Amino acid sequence: MEKQVIQSVGFRNTVENGAVIGFQFKIRLPYYRGVYLSQLMPGTLYVDGERIEKEDIVWYFKGQDYTLEEMRTDWKTHWNPTECAVLKVKKPGGLQQGYHDLKYGFCFTSSYMPPIMQDKLDPDQESFVFMPEFGKHVNERRLLIV
Amino acid sequence: MYHYDRKGPKRGVAFYSYSAEFGLTKTLEDCFEDTYDMGAHGIEILANTHIENYPYPSDAWVENWFHLCDKYEVVPVEYGHWIDSHVIRGRELTTEESIEMLERDIRLANRLGFTVMRTKMPVINGKLEPVKNWREIIKGALPLAERMNVRMCPEIHTPSNLNGEMVRDYVDFIKETGTKNFGLNIDFSVFRTGFEEGQYRSPDYQANTPEDLIPLLPYVYCCHAKFIHMSDDFEETTIPYPAIVKVMQDYGWDGYLLSEYEGADKYDDGYEVGQTLRKQHIMLKRLLGD
Repeated sequence: MEKQVIQSVGFRNTVENGAVIGFQFKIRLPYYRGVYLSQLMPGTLYVDGERIEKEDIVWYFKGQDYTLEEMRTDWKTHWNPTECAVLKVKKPGGLQQGYHDLKYGFCFTSSYMPPIMQDKLDPDQESFVFMPEFGKHVNERRLLIV
Repeated sequence: MYHYDRKGPKRGVAFYSYSAEFGLTKTLEDCFEDTYDMGAHGIEILANTHIENYPYPSDAWVENWFHLCDKYEVVPVEYGHWIDSHVIRGRELTTEESIEMLERDIRLANRLGFTVMRTKMPVINGKLEPVKNWREIIKGALPLAERMNVRMCPEIHTPSNLNGEMVRDYVDFIKETGTKNFGLNIDFSVFRTGFEEGQYRSPDYQANTPEDLIPLLPYVYCCHAKFIHMSDDFEETTIPYPAIVKVMQDYGWDGYLLSEYEGADKYDDGYEVGQTLRKQHIMLKRLLGD
């Protein structure tokens, strides 16, 4: 895995039945322990400035797709910090060949932090106090599609 | 399986310390080897971090786990885990659901050869008080913990105080139930006296003296040998280690001091936490005379 949250490996257009139906990229969990899917708070994705809502992104773990709705109540599926999650976005035709600026925000709750700190978590905004072991919420990377 | 027969306080490493490097530049085996280099014989893992495919590791992974323990002469000491009852937004897990989660960890800890668990409970406020139903959750899991020979230990960490209400509640619970399967993990942050200009200090924090440990020692099954700053001549400048170790030796405490480095600088580019751990282990080795 790369140190950056958005990984360079795994960024490509996705093809289904011969047609390009969208694109996908991989992220790692910038936290020192794994989380259950219900702890995740996915945010907004920007690709070259174009806004993609969190509801339109499917997360893929351990061979299975999860919608935002499914993740909200799933406290049994665990995301280990040594594996990447794949984020899939539907976009007929996919992304053009060349550079793309990806900007994506997500964060997660922690049972051992005071609830008052948890209530203010926003995946699209950094926390008031930055703690490196929780990582940054919003990560950016410029990557190539071939 | 490897055994380490030394009595008294013993050196170990909490793999949490490798947080910034684990999975990126260090594998699980690297953490074992680093521990071996230091001549330490105990480890703490974080279940949700270091167990591949937690909470359902494969038999092959478990087999390799024991291979690593033998190869690097390591005793699996403490299994770090969380009762994540605030895992869903909108509701707390029920007592039964929390017990189910806890029992799964007890079985897994036992399967990997651990005898102590660092049982982190969900907190309800800034004083780090645990959920109201913690007694019911622990009581529900005690019979299994007894069968599996593990001791569940909440960690007492700054700004909590050894003489405070929370510790008193835990000790009362141990006395009332008479259990040997619930105890305490003392994090040495509670003894910190040195703070430099600009370093955060909770308004609720009051440093404990090493003597405050004495009445608790019968319930302490493990310690986090927290350290903040090691000088270049291998002394901890913020926590009175010689006095703490002396109390533990004088009162015949037997268990592991697991080095835990929490400093945020371990996330800096190029930082090697193994070197920081080694500094502390030179100090501990001198103090313990091992």
